Amino acid sequence: MTFADAVGLALRNLRQAKLRTALTTLGVAIGIASLAGMVSLGVGLQDQFVDRFTRSGMFDSINVLPGNIDPRGFVAGGRGRGRGAQPNAPAAPEATPPKPLDDQALATLAALENVKDVYPMIRVPVEIRFGDHSEFTQVAGVPISARGQGPFATITHGEFFRSDSDAACMISLEMGNRLVNENPSQLVGKELTLGYASSSPVAAPPAMLPGMIGVPTMVQRAETRCRIIGIVERETGPMAVGGSMVTGVMIPLPKAREINEQFAIAQRTLMRGRGMDGKYQTVTVKVTRPQHTQDVEERIRKLGYSAFSLNDALQGARRAFLVLDIILGLTGSIALTVASLGIINTMVMSILERTREIGIMKAIGGSDSDVRRIFLVEASAIGLLGGITGILLGWLVGRIINFGANYYIVQQGGTPGNLFSLPIWLIAGALGFSLVVSLAAGVFPARRAARLDPIHALRHD
Amino acid sequence: MIRQPASILSGLVPPAILETRDLTKHYTMGEVVVRALDGVSISVREGEFVALVGTSGSGKSTLLNLIAGLDHASGGTLRIFEQDLAHMSRDELSVHRRRNVGIIFQSFNLVSTMSAAENVALAMMFAGVKRNERDERASKLLESVGLGGRQTHRPKELSGGEQQRVAIARALSNEPRLLLADEPTGNLDSRTSHEIMALLKELNERDGKTVIMVTHDPLLASTHAHRTVTMLDGRVISESAA
Repeated sequence: MTFADAVGLALRNLRQAKLRTALTTLGVAIGIASLAGMVSLGVGLQDQFVDRFTRSGMFDSINVLPGNIDPRGFVAGGRGRGRGAQPNAPAAPEATPPKPLDDQALATLAALENVKDVYPMIRVPVEIRFGDHSEFTQVAGVPISARGQGPFATITHGEFFRSDSDAACMISLEMGNRLVNENPSQLVGKELTLGYASSSPVAAPPAMLPGMIGVPTMVQRAETRCRIIGIVERETGPMAVGGSMVTGVMIPLPKAREINEQFAIAQRTLMRGRGMDGKYQTVTVKVTRPQHTQDVEERIRKLGYSAFSLNDALQGARRAFLVLDIILGLTGSIALTVASLGIINTMVMSILERTREIGIMKAIGGSDSDVRRIFLVEASAIGLLGGITGILLGWLVGRIINFGANYYIVQQGGTPGNLFSLPIWLIAGALGFSLVVSLAAGVFPARRAARLDPIHALRHD
Repeated sequence: MIRQPASILSGLVPPAILETRDLTKHYTMGEVVVRALDGVSISVREGEFVALVGTSGSGKSTLLNLIAGLDHASGGTLRIFEQDLAHMSRDELSVHRRRNVGIIFQSFNLVSTMSAAENVALAMMFAGVKRNERDERASKLLESVGLGGRQTHRPKELSGGEQQRVAIARALSNEPRLLLADEPTGNLDSRTSHEIMALLKELNERDGKTVIMVTHDPLLASTHAHRTVTMLDGRVISESAA
């Protein structure tokens, strides 16, 4: 007996008992629908969560610092180390000189796999002047790739830089409120003056400045003007670790580097050579997808830098979601367990009804394995059919709940999203699972049918 | 009226295709051991039409079931076509049933949900015959038993005699050399019985099929069989040529 024959015979038998087949299949369908629906809800919620946080730009960025600072030690800050009371504290990293974060390092980091962007965090103290108002603040360099990312996803007034060479700047809303008394949006288009420390070689020093060493250099004040193009609200939340790019004034990164260089020379002059000297304090590495964060982080550490990200927090959230998925999956499995009992019941009933038929099949040459195969195929056909119906049912119910929930969310002023997600793996998994469950449910009845004694079976009415 | 098989007419003694020696079958029903077969030794030659006669409980059906490979013997030997059924596994017995024997029952034992043609084809399905071939053969077999126009009818739509013809067509489908009939006319009226017996005789005489038929009716046995084996309490008490 070929497999195709067994399938044909099994389907024929199922058609003979249409109502019973339909009811059993519906049972499996409901089981699969509840299982798929529950897992789908878990996946959907996780997607929502991960997506929101991914868009926040927190999980795809890695902060890189020079040297081998233990990230845990670093995050722990002065808690344990400063007190020196921990005998097990990791050895101090002073053994190797910290690797500098210079332009070459930036190139190395940019060349890593799955790295989307690398830019130094540049903060330069400046004095800003607008009309009569003047104050000291920090100017930050913002890469053009940050457009639409994190804090720049929404620009309160105006817009983001058009290009790297834009002679424009953005200011924080707080700054805007300090510059004008009301309606900060009127600032868009106005000009701002930035004053910063610069230096220039001195041909003939007018006087010996205290900070002069080597080539005579003079620290002087330089100014640049920029047009306010956008006003950004400083985001709330745990941005300290992620490295907020929002400061009082933000300018395109290349311009910020220019100012920074000038400032570094000036600083070196003033601080007798202990300035940063073309090195950066912090470099932000953006990865292509948040999944790669951990991997890239490891590789950066291997290069001899310190790296840390919020990925650990995301990993924790993932674990929490895994637990949620398991709980939801188990809940859904209850219905499927009941459904599989339904399959067993149907098959046992069917064997009872068809005992004589089994006897006939054996008498005319059907072997134990032929009979077993027919019943197993019947069980798995119920499972597969139930699985397909169940996925459709689950999808439909999910859509309906989603529609209702989103209606509510929109009413409450939230952004709608997909609470249920039905990825291909879940569909395939649900189908496979229904097949496996129904096969398992069919094993016992099929075995029973196969072991029937033909003479007794033929006497059965 | 009764003709000798063709091979005997040619002067050769045909070989025994079936041979039992001290064949026993014991059941235990509670505390009591029932000796359904209590040392049966018979032999059947190729082309013979043998009737097993006896009252109910004489063991004739039990003997037929053992020959059919539907049951295992408790002791003794049972050789069919040079094979010892006593040492066969369940799977080997199923091969024996589908290749060597065709079984016809008193109650026809057709699958009620299948048409006549499907019932005949089912036996070939287990033998691994391809779909097209078995449909074609089923159709021809039904024609040969006089049911050419009733192929798509279900057992319920057929008379008793017609149902038995379907069963005979099914028994013939895998071309066995040995036909086993257990009270084939037991559920039929006398006219239909006669037709069925004529069909069995034709298969025996024209096609050379060896037939072993169980019946409680000595007259039916003596009218149609070459030889009658009479059984009582699990033993053979007499053998007589017709």
